[in-house]
Amino acid sequence: MTTLNRRTFLAGTAGLALASATGGAFAQDKARVRHFWWGNPERDKRTFAVIDIFNGKHPEIAAEGETLGFADYFTKLTTQIAGRSMPDVIQQGYGVLFEYIANGAVVPLDDYVGKTLDISKMDQSAIAAGTVNGKFYALSIGANSHVAMYNRRLYEAAGIKVGENFDPFAWTYDDVARIGRAVKDATGIAGTDDNTADYQNFSDFVGQKGVQMFSPEGEYQVTQEIVEEYWATWKTIRDAGATPPAQETAGLAGVADLAQTGLVTGKSATSYAWSNQLVGTQALMQDPIGAAMYPNTPAMVPGSIIQPSQFVCLTRDSASPEAATTYMSAFVNDLDMTRVLGLERGIPSNADVRTALDPQLSDIERVSVEFFAGIQGRTAVLAPPPPAGANEIEQTFERLAVEVLIGGRSPTEVAADFLNQAKGILMRA
Amino acid sequence: MHKFIRRNIAGYAFLLPWLVGFLLLAIGPILASLYLSFTKYNVINPPRWIGLDNYVFMFTMDDRFRKALSVTFTFVAISVPAKLCFALAVAMVLDKGIRAIGLYRALFYLPSILGGSIAVAILWRQLFNYDGVINALLRTVGIEGPYWLADPNYSLWTLVVLAVWQFGSPMLIFLAGLRAIPQDLYEAAEIDAAGPVRTFFAITVPLLAPVIFFNLVLQMIEAFKSFSGAFIISGGTGAPLDSLLFYTVYLFNEAFSFLRMGYASALAWVLLIIIAAFTAIAFWTSKYWVHYESQRG
Repeated sequence: MTTLNRRTFLAGTAGLALASATGGAFAQDKARVRHFWWGNPERDKRTFAVIDIFNGKHPEIAAEGETLGFADYFTKLTTQIAGRSMPDVIQQGYGVLFEYIANGAVVPLDDYVGKTLDISKMDQSAIAAGTVNGKFYALSIGANSHVAMYNRRLYEAAGIKVGENFDPFAWTYDDVARIGRAVKDATGIAGTDDNTADYQNFSDFVGQKGVQMFSPEGEYQVTQEIVEEYWATWKTIRDAGATPPAQETAGLAGVADLAQTGLVTGKSATSYAWSNQLVGTQALMQDPIGAAMYPNTPAMVPGSIIQPSQFVCLTRDSASPEAATTYMSAFVNDLDMTRVLGLERGIPSNADVRTALDPQLSDIERVSVEFFAGIQGRTAVLAPPPPAGANEIEQTFERLAVEVLIGGRSPTEVAADFLNQAKGILMRA
Repeated sequence: MHKFIRRNIAGYAFLLPWLVGFLLLAIGPILASLYLSFTKYNVINPPRWIGLDNYVFMFTMDDRFRKALSVTFTFVAISVPAKLCFALAVAMVLDKGIRAIGLYRALFYLPSILGGSIAVAILWRQLFNYDGVINALLRTVGIEGPYWLADPNYSLWTLVVLAVWQFGSPMLIFLAGLRAIPQDLYEAAEIDAAGPVRTFFAITVPLLAPVIFFNLVLQMIEAFKSFSGAFIISGGTGAPLDSLLFYTVYLFNEAFSFLRMGYASALAWVLLIIIAAFTAIAFWTSKYWVHYESQRG
C-alpha cells in the first residue's frame, strides 16, 4: 500500500514536471526574433532602443536583444552552433563571415529579398561584399576603416595643428615619433600607443610595403625583412620617448576592450582602432577625439582598406525567418531606427539613411564622416577573405611581439619564429 | 533477480534524478570526449576520425603544449607546498586556543569560498596592476614595484599568492587533525624536555601525516585543474609570453578560440592521465611516510 502511494506520488510529480516544462513553449503567439551582437556600452544602449522601436511598430513580432563583448561573442556563438540554438539574427565581421557561410551556419537571404527584406536602397558595393558564389548572405551595416584616434586637447596643448605641422591623412612614422614626443614634453602624457604588438597596424604596414598578406592560394607572404622593419620602426618611436613604457604596452597586447586603450585610460594621446569605434570611444571619454589615418612610410603606398564594418545575418537555426528578415530590413532601412543607431556601427550603406542622418550628426559622428571623405583614394584594394587560421596567426603575432617589447630573444629570432609558426598554423588549419 | 529489482525499485526511483544526471551530464560527455579526441572536430562540421594524430602532434610538434606543461608543473610544485605550509602554520596558531576562534576560522575560510570566483581574479588583476594597490604600498616604503602582470618573471607568482591565499579549507582540515592528537603525548614530551621544534617533527608531523596526505592529494588535483585565475589575469590567452599558459587555459583556447575540439579533448584526456599518475605516485610514496592509527597495533 505504501509502495503504491509512493508510485502514484512519483508518477504524479513527474507528470507535473513534464507539463510545466512543455507548457511554456506553447504560450508564444508572437514570432520571436533574437538578435545577438558584440558591442560596447554605447552600442548596446542604442541597439536596445532600436529593438523597442521595432517592437512598437510590429506588434506581431517580439524582437529581443542579446549582447557580449567581442572577446566572448564568438565563443558563445560556437557553442550555440553546436547546440543548434543560434539566435535568429547575428552580427558578423568581414573574414569570419565566410567560414560561417561555408559551414552553413549562415543561410542565404535571396528568398526574402523584395518580400520581407528590402535592399533596393543599399549601395551596390555593400551588396557585393555580402554576396558569395552568386548568393546574397549578409546585410552590411556600414563601412569601416582603420583610424588613429587622437586626443585633440593634448595635441593642441603641444602645438600640433592640422594643416600646419600635422597631416592626418598623410603622416609618417617619423611624424608619429615627432608629434608623440612633443605631446609627451608638453603634457607629460605619452603621445601615442606603442603598436609593436598590434597586428592591425602590422597588416597596414605589410600593405604599405606593397605586399598582400595572403596569396590567392592562401600562403602567408609576409617576409622576415618586413617583420623586422616593422618592429624597428616602432622601436624608433619608443626610443624617441613618444610611447608609454614598453612593459605597460606588453600588458595590453591583444586586449580588444575599448575602455582599456591608452586614449581612454589617459595614458596616451593616440590609440589605433576601427573607424566605427570612434563613437563608442568618445562615449567613454571627455576630451574631444580627432581622426587620422594610420601612419605610413614616406612612399605613401596605401595600407588601410575600406571594408564593411559588420553584417547582420540570418542563421540556420531561425524558426521564423520571415519575422527575422523583417527585423533585419528595418534595421538598415527604417529611418526612425537608423536615426538612433547613427554611425555607431560605421557609415551606413543606405543612401537615404545617410541623407536623413546628416542634419542631426553629433560632433564625433561628423568627425567620422569627414574622416571617410578624407581617406577616399588613399586606401588599398579590399583583399579576398583571409584563409582559415588567419585569426590564430594574429594572436600568435601579438603573443610573440611581447618578447620584442620586454626583451629576451632578438627581434630577428622572434620574427623568424613568428613566420615559422604562421606557416605551421596554415598547414594545420 | 526479479525479486531484487522489486524490492529495491523505490530506492532506484529515488536515485533516478541523480542517476540520469550522472549518465547524461557526466558519463555521456566523458565518453564523447574520448571519442572526439581521435577526431578533427571544429563544432560546425561533423567530427572526422584521424586516429592518433592529435596525440602524435601533441607529443612531437606542439611547443605550446610543452610550455603549458612546464607552467602547470611549476605552479603545482610551488603553490601546493606553500599553501599546505601556510595552512598548517595558521591551524597551529588557531589550535592554541585563542579568543573568538570561531570568528577567525570563518575569516580565514572566507578566501576559499571567494577564491575561485571571477570577481576575485579581477580584483587580483587590479591589486597587481602597475598602478595597483600593491605597488602603491611598496612606493610608500620607497620601493618601485615591477610590472607584476606584464613581466613573465613575476606573473606566475601573483597566481601562487592567489592560491596560497585560499588556504582555508586545508587549514580547517589541519585544525581538526591537530585536535585529534592526544594531549598526553605533548605533556610527555614536555616532561622529557623536548623543545617545540622536536615536538613538531616527532609528534605533530607523524600523527598528522594522514591529514597531510589527504590535503596534499586534494590540493594537488585542485592545482592541476586551476583555471579561472590564470584565465582572467592573462586576458584568456596565457599572456605575457605564455607565462600564465596553464594547461587548462591552453585547453580552453584550443577548444573555443581555435575551434579544435578534437585536439582539446585529447589534451583533456592527457591531463586526466597526468593527474591520475601523480595521485598514484602520492599514494605509492604514502606507505613510507603515512601511518594510520589502526596500523600501530
